[in-house]
Amino acid sequence: MEHTGNWSVVSGTVLLEPPAVSAAIDDPAAPAAVDDGARLARLRRNARFLWAITTIHPKLFAVAIAGAAVFAASTIVSSVVLGWVIDDVILPRFEDGEVAVGTVLTGLALILGVGMIRALSIVVRRVFASTMQWRVAQTLTGRVVDQLVRQPIAWHSRRPDGDLVARAGVDTETTVGVLAPIPFATGTVLMVVGSTIWLFVIDIPMGVVAAIVFPLLVATNVVYERAVAQHSARAQNQLGDFSAGVHESFEGVQVVKSYGAEERETVRLSHLASDVRESRITAIKIRSWFEAFLDAFPSMTNIGLVVLGAWRVETGDLTVGEISSVIFLFQLLVFPLRLIGYTLSELPRSIAAWERIDEVVTEPREPDPAERIEPAPVGVGVELDTVTFAHVDGGPPTITEVAMSLPAGSVTAVVGPTGSGKSTVAQLVVGLLGPSAGTVRRAPGAAAIVFQEAFLLAGTIRENVEFGASFSDDELWDALSLAAADEFVRNLPHALDTIVGERGVTLSGGQRQRVALARAMIRQPSLLVLDDTTSALDPATEATVLGNLRSRLTNASVVLIATRPSTIALANDVVFVDGGRVAAQGENDDLLRDVPRYSELVEAFEADRGTSS
Amino acid sequence: MSAVDPTLAARAGTIAPSQPDSAVRTIGRGLEQAPILRQGLGVTWLLAALGATGRVVVPILIQQAIDRGIVGEDEVRLDLIVQMAVLGAVAVVISGVSFRWAAKRLGERSERALYDLRVRLIRHIHQLSLADHNEERRGGLVARVTSDIETLAQFFQWGGLAWLLEGTLMAVVAGVMLAYNWQLALVAFAVGIPLVFVLRAVQRRLVRAYDIARTRNGEMLGAIAEVVSGAPTIRAYGAGDAIEEQVDEVVADKADAQIRATIIGAFLFPSGEVFAAVTVAAVIGVGVWQGPASGLTAGALVGFVFLTYRFLEPIAAFTEVLDQTQTAVAGLRRVLTVLDLPIGPPPAPEPVALPDGSLAIEVRDVTFAYPARADTPGIGMSAPALSAIDVSIPAGQQVALVGATGSGKTTLGRLLARFSDPTFGEVLLGGVPLTMIARPDLRNRLVVVSQEPFLFDDSIATNIGFADPAADRQRIEEIVDTLGVRDWIDGMTDGLDNRVGERGDQLSAGERQLVALLRAGLADPDVLILDEATSSVDALTEVRIARALERLAGGRTTIAIAHRLSTAARADRVIVLEHGRLVEDGHHDELVERHGVYRRLYDAWVSATAVSRDR
Repeated sequence: MEHTGNWSVVSGTVLLEPPAVSAAIDDPAAPAAVDDGARLARLRRNARFLWAITTIHPKLFAVAIAGAAVFAASTIVSSVVLGWVIDDVILPRFEDGEVAVGTVLTGLALILGVGMIRALSIVVRRVFASTMQWRVAQTLTGRVVDQLVRQPIAWHSRRPDGDLVARAGVDTETTVGVLAPIPFATGTVLMVVGSTIWLFVIDIPMGVVAAIVFPLLVATNVVYERAVAQHSARAQNQLGDFSAGVHESFEGVQVVKSYGAEERETVRLSHLASDVRESRITAIKIRSWFEAFLDAFPSMTNIGLVVLGAWRVETGDLTVGEISSVIFLFQLLVFPLRLIGYTLSELPRSIAAWERIDEVVTEPREPDPAERIEPAPVGVGVELDTVTFAHVDGGPPTITEVAMSLPAGSVTAVVGPTGSGKSTVAQLVVGLLGPSAGTVRRAPGAAAIVFQEAFLLAGTIRENVEFGASFSDDELWDALSLAAADEFVRNLPHALDTIVGERGVTLSGGQRQRVALARAMIRQPSLLVLDDTTSALDPATEATVLGNLRSRLTNASVVLIATRPSTIALANDVVFVDGGRVAAQGENDDLLRDVPRYSELVEAFEADRGTSS
Repeated sequence: MSAVDPTLAARAGTIAPSQPDSAVRTIGRGLEQAPILRQGLGVTWLLAALGATGRVVVPILIQQAIDRGIVGEDEVRLDLIVQMAVLGAVAVVISGVSFRWAAKRLGERSERALYDLRVRLIRHIHQLSLADHNEERRGGLVARVTSDIETLAQFFQWGGLAWLLEGTLMAVVAGVMLAYNWQLALVAFAVGIPLVFVLRAVQRRLVRAYDIARTRNGEMLGAIAEVVSGAPTIRAYGAGDAIEEQVDEVVADKADAQIRATIIGAFLFPSGEVFAAVTVAAVIGVGVWQGPASGLTAGALVGFVFLTYRFLEPIAAFTEVLDQTQTAVAGLRRVLTVLDLPIGPPPAPEPVALPDGSLAIEVRDVTFAYPARADTPGIGMSAPALSAIDVSIPAGQQVALVGATGSGKTTLGRLLARFSDPTFGEVLLGGVPLTMIARPDLRNRLVVVSQEPFLFDDSIATNIGFADPAADRQRIEEIVDTLGVRDWIDGMTDGLDNRVGERGDQLSAGERQLVALLRAGLADPDVLILDEATSSVDALTEVRIARALERLAGGRTTIAIAHRLSTAARADRVIVLEHGRLVEDGHHDELVERHGVYRRLYDAWVSATAVSRDR
């Protein structure tokens, strides 16, 4: 991240320009006319960002700014008090030998009082600034989560999972990272302006020194942050590559060991680690110079001030207390000025993260495909009327002009090779996807789908079966028994209230699948779709569950996306899908006899049965 | 690493957690592991000390200027002040340059040391036994190499320098204060030092609060990840509102925890301000009360006020550094714990060369128990996964290992490949005990193909070539033809150069197995251990896998850990395990007749794969 050091004060906040033109600061004579447009655009972008995030909780922000302003004022006052104490308490005592006790006590009380006000203002600023920071983060995360929950799965499928989680998590933290220091930075700007004016009031030469030194210090900090940022950003990326490499290498440990590649992998990863090391060392070399300079520069200024001050005392323009007070003020300002550099360097990163969040949050809500499903004629469970579906508009279709009509209460197996469009059919009939052309019709009532990979929340069995709705214990047990899950659930340590998942009991694939089935059953759906659910269930359980279902929900239509002969055997009818089209439809035995492609596919399983027949 | 003790308890003890080392001992051991850090540490410290002196220049100059140049005389002695200022400036420049050197030396050396530590750690982890590499531990092992070492890097970048610099600075400032006026110095110390305790107390609470905030953050990310990965289910069940409510609660909890932590932090810095004000007021009060009679001068008192600030500054920095140090020591301790884990099956001390040609396998009275999980109390091991297995497999035989889940067949496969050593008993390959075979020799002759093969995020060719880094493109092309999968490769957009994606997720499960078979083919081993896949694969790929397998297994001693009993039916011999014991051994036909364990497994399998409904 890079930025120029130009900042200005707009509506009480510090704005800066992250440069598109990185040469701007290296070459101050760069033609301004060319940059003006871009600079203005950047300024507007920064203003938009700061406006957007500070207005989420404006009251907290205002109090934090007020705290920072009090801090700025009391800092200047504290240096004035010190000057007064030196001139009116210390010097009289040591030069004249006498000073009124009342004066001494006043001086001490002022030092303590101003110190307390300063401390209090820090507390106020920090409490409100960080409360604002985390409340804003909460709001932003909430907005992303809202999108995650509201958008249909077509929207989800266009984005990698990790990316969405990053936007809701890491990106919000990065965005608000700049929020907490903003009030402090604003206070520092006030402090610098106030101090400079104050110094001009005391003595014009001192004011001139301040007008030169303060901006110079800020500029140095900005140059420094920029110079180091580049290398630390590179090191950070390399660290990311290294971490990914380590993760992959450890994950593949069995392969690594199988081929005796332990040493080869160590060498490969050590190259990645040495990239990190080299970038870091470069950053350290630069940083150590700046750190040394930023440490020495205020000392040098103060040494200069002592000489200048002595001359001003000689000419009678300043008192000893006043010089000391100026030197003291310079010291107090060194740290805040460094923080401005930090804030400025953080801003571009925060803006980038915020834009990533904004991109997700401002996307228009896509219509719910389920709302486009039309009622089916009486006696029909599900009907696809020449349905075509493409994941991308105008892109290659996953299924083309599929037409099928499944009678109410029927059990149908959808069979086809990998990539034939089976799962797309499943998602279309339950309304997770909407057709690109054609119509889906369905008998009234709920539709439920169980996926190949059962999804369980990290929560109790009860929560996982209820899944947002609410049912009685009897209903829960009934559904679990239909899904052949009652027995193992009863044996769990807290039965229905056993927590499953990472911090709870680990369930096997088949157990997870049965909980997911219970979730579907308890809703008494008129349409139940099992999308290759059986890969995690043994055939006996599969048959039991389906039998239970048929005896209870006599009118429910069942669609089985099948890859196992035992599953196909449970269906009345088979729809054979190949290359995105319905290639054949009928009874299993008929298809085996009449459709060579179908028998080829299914006989692969037969062949797998070996010598048994 | 010491030799392996053959008793259960002793072996378990090497993995069960031991008493954590003290901080001092941990640091000492860390320095042993990173000799670069110790080299020239004295010089670095000297430079840092020189760098610290720059900070007392200004207070001394102020004192000198006031007492000797301004106040003491009748007129201001500008010449003297300029002389002193020049002297001070020189001192500041020298200290600045020294400081830079110290920072650079420390930074550079620590980065080198951490790099060495990383490489050592990776090498060690790769040599750990597979039992130490289970799912639960993997995340931890990755964290040791990445984030734990990062806490050390963080420490060296800020805290390490602070230890060198701030400590010296406090000593220098305290010395100068005592030299000016010991009574005032004692007043400053007496009032200022309690700050340390206040800061420590606040910081301890702060650390706890941040711990909670981090935990809440993890919970929040977990909840969000659930919403993302469970999106289809949530959508299908219309559970969006209920789930959103739950997630919002977790998000709010995280914000609350963060705010609580930052509010504690909000009192940390101001306490430094309060102490500064009180200390300065005390110093001025006592100084003024003492007056010139005590030998104190106006300049010294003003200089003293500046010194007081200089004295208190490092205290605040120091207490912060203490936390960072604690974090770093904890990180270092975790790193050392991993380095202390004994490496996997130890290398053969005096390796014996394997005979040429096909190799026979002999399993002699083998018992194996997995080490108990680290979170189970006490020392011990879980129930044995294998008990007293005795079996002899002649060279070139095709064997199927069969058994229900948890019967021990996968474990036996691992012992044959020497991913672990048996707890009791031994395994011989070509008549040589596995423990006496050099690792490269073993890996050249015996290859394991896993049921869930791992692919690297690279091209198909690179993944095949992993078996033999010396293999050129032509050999890889040859193996594609040899195993008869040319049509599949040609069907890929980029052929062999097709990228496979993270963990191979751009390929189907069956295609990943094909790559793994090609990889094994390139290695051209004499013994093949196949851990068969359970996941369903589409028919065409199934056919390809079967064909490739047949060609791969031909002429090699092959142990298939079979989940499909069709594989067992084709094998020369079937070995059946139940509850870690060998229960049946013979040809498929024989075992089917016997109506025992195998017959039961086989009947279940047949019913699962039956095509027609006439069961």
